[in-house]
Amino acid sequence: MGDNKEQELQVIRRKLKELLVSHLSLEDIKPEEIKDDEILFGEGLGLDSLDAVEIVVLLQRNFGLEVKDMNQGRKIFYSVDTLANYIHDNKK
Amino acid sequence: MDNIDGSIRISTKRRGNKLGFWFFKFFLNCFGLAGAYGLLYFVCLHYLIFDREAVSMCLSYIKRRFPKAGFFKMQLHVYRLFISQGKQLIDRFALISGSHKFNIQLNGYDDLKKILSAKDSGFVLLTAHVGNWQIALTTLKKMNKHVHLVMRPEDNNAVRESLGIDSEDESISIISPEGYLGGVVESMSALKNGDIVSLMGDRKYGFEAVEVSFLKDKAYFPFGAFSIAASVNCPVVVLLSSKVSKDKYIVDISNVIYPKYEGPLSKREQLKKYVQDFADILDKYVAEYPYQCFLFHNVWEKD
Repeated sequence: MGDNKEQELQVIRRKLKELLVSHLSLEDIKPEEIKDDEILFGEGLGLDSLDAVEIVVLLQRNFGLEVKDMNQGRKIFYSVDTLANYIHDNKK
Repeated sequence: MDNIDGSIRISTKRRGNKLGFWFFKFFLNCFGLAGAYGLLYFVCLHYLIFDREAVSMCLSYIKRRFPKAGFFKMQLHVYRLFISQGKQLIDRFALISGSHKFNIQLNGYDDLKKILSAKDSGFVLLTAHVGNWQIALTTLKKMNKHVHLVMRPEDNNAVRESLGIDSEDESISIISPEGYLGGVVESMSALKNGDIVSLMGDRKYGFEAVEVSFLKDKAYFPFGAFSIAASVNCPVVVLLSSKVSKDKYIVDISNVIYPKYEGPLSKREQLKKYVQDFADILDKYVAEYPYQCFLFHNVWEKD
């Protein structure tokens, strides 16, 4: 059961990294260079407000998810890992 | 100061005190608008002479709007700007207190209604610190849509009062730009629901700014409103208001911008074009109403 979840998370993480690199203003970064626990905004990967909008759109278009409760936002948008967990737990 | 992943702080010094407000209220009640306006000429002269911080905050705008003015002429322009702002503050108070009724002419409403009837999503209402934007916002009630104002918590009370919002009013709510990611997610969600999201186009809050031309100089305006609208595929409606006589305001919503990404340029570059369109609209506005531009922070300075 645990292994199964971890495998699914790995697939989601890989897809997320590919989407981030192809859709955001990440220059000269390959998907595999993004660490699972790297902070997305500010320090870390250095994403900005424009990228925030893009991630919201990515979540909706690719995973059918809409984040409405921004009380959770800080946790969800923290890293690829937290995003992947959110997608895994909420995907339809 | 602002930061995409955390706090946003722009300190604003509040001017005036209870006694001062009492005097204005007294003059307004006893002598009407003209009486309260009369008091302004003395109060603004005081600020012009003794509050050099307030004067210097206006100068970045005044110097660019009146580039040929010498020192004394420049001070006169600042004085007129102070008086103009004072009048609009008094108007706002008179409107809230119900002591005076204003004639508010709304331009562009019918066109906007047509746009809205053709789309399910809402729209971004982009305004700026020009004219009496709080009075202009009262016209939103006419649109019969839920309105989300993106504004700092410390501005809540003043704006709530201006719009006559009480705790039971469910048609207007506040999105704080000081929240995580500057209220982006809440704004997008609201637009998808068909609501209106109102943003200030001359304040960055959580968004980055791009360089545009404004009053023939390089200025920095945020692209947040346009990036959100482009992602949700909804229009950006520019809301401007101007006081045209003692009792009359014109609220203009005829400028509609449709941001979308197309072509090989980066999204940032594409958004710049729309921000420039907005700056051009403001340029035209301040050419017509030079003393109704209350940009008291330096948008020409890069942070």
